Amino acid sequence: MLYDNRPKVTVEIIQTGENYACATDENLLKGMLKLGRKGIPAGCVSGGCGVCRVHIVSGQVQLCGPVSRAHISCEDEAQGITLACRVTPVTAVRLEVSGRLIKPFLKGCANLADSASI
Amino acid sequence: MGVMRIGHVSLRVMDMAAAVKHYENVLGLKTTQQDEHGNVYLKCWDEWDKYSLILTPSDRAGMNHVAYKVKREADLDVLQQRIEAYGIKTEMLAVGDLPATGRMLKFNLPSTHEMRLYATKECVGTGVGSINPDPWPDDLKGAGAHWLDHLLLMCELNPPAGINRVAENTKFMTEVLDFGLSEQVLVGPDGDIQAATWMFRTTTPHDIAFVGGATNGLHHISYFLDSWHDVLKAADVMAKTKTKIDVAPTRHGITRGETIYFFDPSGNRNETFAGLGYLAQPDRPVTTWDESHLGSAIFYHTGELVASFTEVYT
Repeated sequence: MLYDNRPKVTVEIIQTGENYACATDENLLKGMLKLGRKGIPAGCVSGGCGVCRVHIVSGQVQLCGPVSRAHISCEDEAQGITLACRVTPVTAVRLEVSGRLIKPFLKGCANLADSASI
Repeated sequence: MGVMRIGHVSLRVMDMAAAVKHYENVLGLKTTQQDEHGNVYLKCWDEWDKYSLILTPSDRAGMNHVAYKVKREADLDVLQQRIEAYGIKTEMLAVGDLPATGRMLKFNLPSTHEMRLYATKECVGTGVGSINPDPWPDDLKGAGAHWLDHLLLMCELNPPAGINRVAENTKFMTEVLDFGLSEQVLVGPDGDIQAATWMFRTTTPHDIAFVGGATNGLHHISYFLDSWHDVLKAADVMAKTKTKIDVAPTRHGITRGETIYFFDPSGNRNETFAGLGYLAQPDRPVTTWDESHLGSAIFYHTGELVASFTEVYT
């Protein structure tokens, strides 16, 4: 997306220190997939399967579709936990991957793998 | 006597308008009824009973129940006794509990999934009728799926804790509902843990499948297409409609099916597949896949497992 001139904000993944530019009209998961590395499990991308669970630590996001209550309870939602495929960023966002996303995400991170092998 | 085939599936959806649009325009089903609770009933063109899919408005995705059609009303009474004798509680739902449907025998599989059996549903005919019919109707949309063919249920499998709902379901379906076992996956150090099974009542390799996972859930519902070319066309339809494809056209080792997996707008996985595989018969030797060939069993061409395929479900 060399000539993608949509407005973008920066999304930081706290656990790995990774950053990516996410357009304000694309969901956080779609932007995250552009990191182009292993360990980002895209599931149904429709809010139903609960794989892309994230905790929005700071910044503002907007819901772009329904999120399954089987995976995100009202309490979760109140704490800023949601599914990355169902929210678009309004401002810069700092997030933590959560739930079933943690293990594959951290395992697939080259930064962490390198530092672990040193 | 007994179970003839899959009759319908009741699914939870989080956006009804989007769901109806998906099943009508991508799969090619038609809406045949709506009720006062907001449930929508649909059927494929090559099916003759009034509906094979119920969409229910909900705050989550997943399956409410799956129903199989038995041949006679009296079968329901016989099967109720057999199921109760096996140690599973049942409930007979009255005529009209679901529209256009007779009484239904309701119970839970060992995996907790709700199953229902019924003998009567209003026959509305196929899209081409039964008198001197054409081979296909003129008003097909999307993939133009022929019929709901089977479904795959994810069942809790945790060998260290001694939990194997796949094996428990398989035993129940064999002993009580007279299903045949066409294929199985055996895993573990001694190759004796039944981790997945494919079972039939028709003459095709599966009318239901059970696969072991972390939790019980719905893996997919599957629709039949005529040919490999129809599978390609279905993938084109999904690309045109920006439908999320999970697994692009390929072939399964298990059942030999030619397949595509994709998601409905609530994240329930669908499959369109072609190829009826082989003649499934109760005396046909059971096909067994071992753990080292699991990749080929599932995706025959690449032989590689896709993590999302086994870990993502509703």
